[in-house]
Amino acid sequence: MLRTVKPKNARSKRVLQAREPKEIEDPRTAIFVKGTHAGERVNAVMKELMALKRPHAISFSKKNAVRPFEDASSLEFWSQKNDAGMFVVGQSTKKRPHGMTFVRMFDYKVLDMCEVGVDDWKSMAEFKTPKATPGHKPMLHFASELFESHPRFVQLKSMLIDFFNGEEIDAIHLAGLEHIISISLGPTPPTMNAATTTLEASTSTAEDPSTLPKVHIRAYTIRLLKSGTRVPRVELTPMGPSLDLSLRRHTEADAELWKQAMRRPKLRKQDVEKGLGKKRKNLEVDEMGDLRGRIHVGKQDLGKLQTRKMKGLKAGRDDMLVDAEHDDPMLVDDEGGDDDAEDGERRRKRAKAA
Amino acid sequence: MDVSDILAAHEAKQKAVTVEKDIPLEIDAGFLTVTDLNPVDKESYDADREEYLMSIARDGAQALLAALFSLPTTSSPDGPLAQLPPPTTQLPRAKPLPKPKPPTKWEQFAKAKGIHKTRKDKKVWDEAKQEWVNRWGWKGANKDKEVQWITEVRANADVDHDPVKAARDARKARVAKNEKQHQQNLARAMPLPVGTSSTGAPADRKKQIDRTLAVTRTSTASMGKFDRRLEGEKKLKGVKRKFDPTEISAASEKSRDLAILSKLDKEPSTKKTKSSESSASDVLNVRKAIRSASKGKGSAALAREAGGGKGKNFKKGKR
Repeated sequence: MLRTVKPKNARSKRVLQAREPKEIEDPRTAIFVKGTHAGERVNAVMKELMALKRPHAISFSKKNAVRPFEDASSLEFWSQKNDAGMFVVGQSTKKRPHGMTFVRMFDYKVLDMCEVGVDDWKSMAEFKTPKATPGHKPMLHFASELFESHPRFVQLKSMLIDFFNGEEIDAIHLAGLEHIISISLGPTPPTMNAATTTLEASTSTAEDPSTLPKVHIRAYTIRLLKSGTRVPRVELTPMGPSLDLSLRRHTEADAELWKQAMRRPKLRKQDVEKGLGKKRKNLEVDEMGDLRGRIHVGKQDLGKLQTRKMKGLKAGRDDMLVDAEHDDPMLVDDEGGDDDAEDGERRRKRAKAA
Repeated sequence: MDVSDILAAHEAKQKAVTVEKDIPLEIDAGFLTVTDLNPVDKESYDADREEYLMSIARDGAQALLAALFSLPTTSSPDGPLAQLPPPTTQLPRAKPLPKPKPPTKWEQFAKAKGIHKTRKDKKVWDEAKQEWVNRWGWKGANKDKEVQWITEVRANADVDHDPVKAARDARKARVAKNEKQHQQNLARAMPLPVGTSSTGAPADRKKQIDRTLAVTRTSTASMGKFDRRLEGEKKLKGVKRKFDPTEISAASEKSRDLAILSKLDKEPSTKKTKSSESSASDVLNVRKAIRSASKGKGSAALAREAGGGKGKNFKKGKR
């Protein structure tokens, strides 16, 4: 749909190169779009989420008539133009008041969507407490067993991790951990338990999202107190927006697209040596950091080993000497014994050789 | 000496930083995430929701921080950095995996020789000026020869040897060579289109060379008949002359002769008469009609206009 841009100067060429796919990806840029009628609550919530997501957030100022569940073409166009991986579409209708849709993209096509409704919320301004610096990575906390078992909550968890913290990093400065975002659910209703969630996922519970427990999002700043041990004690102070959401519609990812999106790059040699990858037998990295291997040799019959030949140790040697003494009268010497006989043999051999 | 007090104090400190739960908390240090799989306690939730949520969040944060503080650290100018392990949660990618690019000729050579890339600085120390100058760019050291007002010239140099021009041409030639090599690298990296073993630029070149070789082999005084063939040269294909058989059937001979006679009857046709006869042009001179209708632009322009006019009437979809 979009024409391919040919870079005319070094700056545009650099921008184009930055947008190419990489092995380790950058965090997803989220675009915040408002629908034809968003409403005051949705507007404010989107603003607060953008504050938490800075700097990887773009906000569209104009209202756009976009219906994510019906037509995804506008989303695809915007994601390609702005190089964005996620969307938050805010819309409020009579049937679905105060609705926000989280959309995730793969290869500029829609991967999966999740619609939530904002039931209750408190702005950051209402909490008169110090806030965390924008741009710092938040810690995330998910509290409920449904995040593991129920497919809708598994999708929501994956979506929220991608939204807040989707970047793979090597190292982090511990002093920079300032805030934690806690996503918890209401108590599991008795109709749902671990046994039924995975089985009935596609049938009753999906059709009736009102039975699903509510989602509570809270943000706290962290204070570290001395505790006498190396690990400090943590105390929390409520900071940011507090949202109460209820799940509404959703679309799951297309299986083929999901498989492509979940592809991982090949493990490099350093990673295998570190211990990742398939467990390879007979290889281990010892304490010095060297890679050691073990070679298994089969069982050996020590009797049949090929060693250096020492004639004196041959088994039938004594008998031979006795015979030699009888044959050659010259060499018979009762006193000398074996040694003389041996010398005699050697002399004889040398004579033969000469 | 009552040790039990000290022990009790130590215990209390340890308790303050450890978290006890029915199901241990799952920590994904790579993404700084902690998941608490214990079911939400309905009574505390109903009693005081915010307090309860804050307490379970505190427990989660404590466990996560304990894990983060136990990671190996490296020192950096800003302070100690904790080395994070690779994350355990699998998240979908935003873009497909990059296709591995084949290494360029230099990269292969460097790998084989063990040459590492060295990063060059933009500034370079100039001994004569005793200051840092740019290696390239505005007032760069690479243009010194073109800028200096005096240059030593060899005794046997040309009268009109221009050292400034020579230096400039050398620099431009270097840039052009680099660009050409870059284009060759890109062309080599491009995957060949499907099934192009016999077509494509290198194959075309090969065919061209073979054809030239064949021509040169026959361009001798005796048309290449008595030349000794070198080893590796293939036998040249000549044009095969076809002769009709001496005996043909009476029917075919009759039809052939009648065809000759009918040709003898006709007027000799020229190219101009042929083209005008094929198009029924007694009434309309097509060439002149196209010229006047397209206002001198030609038939292609007329066709384009006709197609575009129809397309313009369709309503374009709203964006």
